[in-house]
Amino acid sequence: MTDKKVSTGKKSQADKDASADNHIKAELRENFGKGYARRLRAEGRIPAVLYGHGTAPQHVSVPAHEVGLLLRKANAILDLNIAGKKQLALVKDVQKDPVRQIIEHLDLVIVKKGEKVHVEVPIHLEGESFSGTIAMLEVNTIRVEADATNIPERIVIDIEGAEDGTKIHAADAVLPEGSTLMDEPDLLLVNVIVPAAVSLGEPTEGEAAEEVEGEAAAEAGEAADEAPAEAAAE
Amino acid sequence: MLIPRKVKHRKQHHPGRSGQATGGTKVSFGEFGIQAITPAYVTNRQIEAARIAMTRHIKRGGKVWINVFPDRPITKKPAETRMGSGKGSPEWWVANIKPGRVLFELSGVNETIAREALTRAIHKLPLKARIIKREEGDA
Repeated sequence: MTDKKVSTGKKSQADKDASADNHIKAELRENFGKGYARRLRAEGRIPAVLYGHGTAPQHVSVPAHEVGLLLRKANAILDLNIAGKKQLALVKDVQKDPVRQIIEHLDLVIVKKGEKVHVEVPIHLEGESFSGTIAMLEVNTIRVEADATNIPERIVIDIEGAEDGTKIHAADAVLPEGSTLMDEPDLLLVNVIVPAAVSLGEPTEGEAAEEVEGEAAAEAGEAADEAPAEAAAE
Repeated sequence: MLIPRKVKHRKQHHPGRSGQATGGTKVSFGEFGIQAITPAYVTNRQIEAARIAMTRHIKRGGKVWINVFPDRPITKKPAETRMGSGKGSPEWWVANIKPGRVLFELSGVNETIAREALTRAIHKLPLKARIIKREEGDA
């Protein structure tokens, strides 16, 4: 077993620009129910609820397109402007329509600058493992504690040239400054393996013989089951 | 071929076809997946055909997950039989697929190969489907 060094992804300029432009004008909702929510979605807005820090939940709506772009990355932070009042919020939950792929509702949790939050950060593999092997991502995310305003976008793990049997654990992940690992250090993140041979649908002679025997047994069993029923019907 | 090992009742009513999938609508294990956009009964033979089409294309390069199981029996009366005399005999095992359900997942290959492999698998299925990718925002 060999361990590989793991690096943290650097944000590109485009990413930085995108994260800087997270100002969203939210409107307070006064009407509720599915009819109102549907009309809101038809107008290009998403119903959302904002809560946290012991405050009463606030029902708001946010513009669908702008928020949809921000939600392409995990743990998006929104700088909300609710009737002139500024509020930082972390996207806690997203309800999506699985078929139409539209965002139906958002759960936003209030955060403050400098506050530490627990978030699930996605893992991203970079590079190609040794020829003939595949790198299996055992978990898609890793749980970290980070500054609310400085949440890592992703944890990049370099698997370039990793050989069969390479295992990368959570403790091997180098997190950015200000972030702490919350998962177990021995949590397996990446396992480099040689893929097992799989059946391609051309049975060998032995398998074919087994199948025939199995089918014959099944048919015999079925005939035995049905015979009494048929006799009774007659 | 996927088939239940043991069942409580050999013959069941036809599974309901209405509504959307309420679970299993995201890519959870692999990187790419096939998501149904129409409802269908997918038989164990079709699942196997799709798996083989996919596996043959990726050769030994990746890993395939089958997220659905054909656990519903469909019965059929023999041809030229008069009506009545009870329910027909079980003929097929099907998975009741509703729109939004992710049927297969794939990982360990690049996007071009994955998309081609999944397209070949979709051709074996009796439904309209699309290829979806795991998104970081979904995590």
